[in-house]
Amino acid sequence: MSSATWRNVFTYNKYAQITARAVRQSLKESERVVAEKRGVTALKYQQWENGVGGQQVFLNPEEDKGVGKSAAV
Amino acid sequence: MSALRMLSSAARRVPSTLTQQRRGYAEVADKISLSLVLPHQAIFTSKDVVQVNLAAATGDMGILANHVPSIEALRPGLIEVIESGNTSKKWFASGGFATVHPGNKLTINVIEASPLESFSSEAVRANLQEALKVAAGNGSEEDKMEARIEADVYEALQHALGSK
Repeated sequence: MSSATWRNVFTYNKYAQITARAVRQSLKESERVVAEKRGVTALKYQQWENGVGGQQVFLNPEEDKGVGKSAAV
Repeated sequence: MSALRMLSSAARRVPSTLTQQRRGYAEVADKISLSLVLPHQAIFTSKDVVQVNLAAATGDMGILANHVPSIEALRPGLIEVIESGNTSKKWFASGGFATVHPGNKLTINVIEASPLESFSSEAVRANLQEALKVAAGNGSEEDKMEARIEADVYEALQHALGSK
């Protein structure tokens, strides 16, 4: 691997995400659309206080709202 | 080593007369139980296969039945599964881990994998050109490293698609 030095810059997780994204972008048009959705991650968080959960908030409100629930086939 | 032992013992066990179910010396006696899974899909779940060829980070390898337990990191590359006889199926995987468990089981976990037919050579070529441009450009060290990683994947894909 000519890019064996990625370890100085990225974690393995980040490296794996990059290679997965590269593979998804190389699929044929029909399958690519479905695959691209798998690459999207959204984060929702909720503050708990005294045993009561607060409002569930998206980390990135505009981007994350459109993300569906599960990409499992 | 176990692969060599496996082959020689299979040769000794060849039946001289064809039985009703077995096809004789065309079939290998032992199979390994393969589970090839992605986060969103299980391609194989405990399926008995004859041989699995992997692109490990340390080099290409073929896993036969009764392989010594080992853990191998996979680089972006081909996974070839030979289920029986001469038929083999190939997937291109983005990387992950292959674990041979004691008890003749092989588990491969990858993030993305697709059969070779679902890739578009056009897209790969275009992506590779773009990635090489960024890798040689003036971006940040991280951007260039990202592009180099992607370029490696695209080159491996081209190689896999070319030698179908």
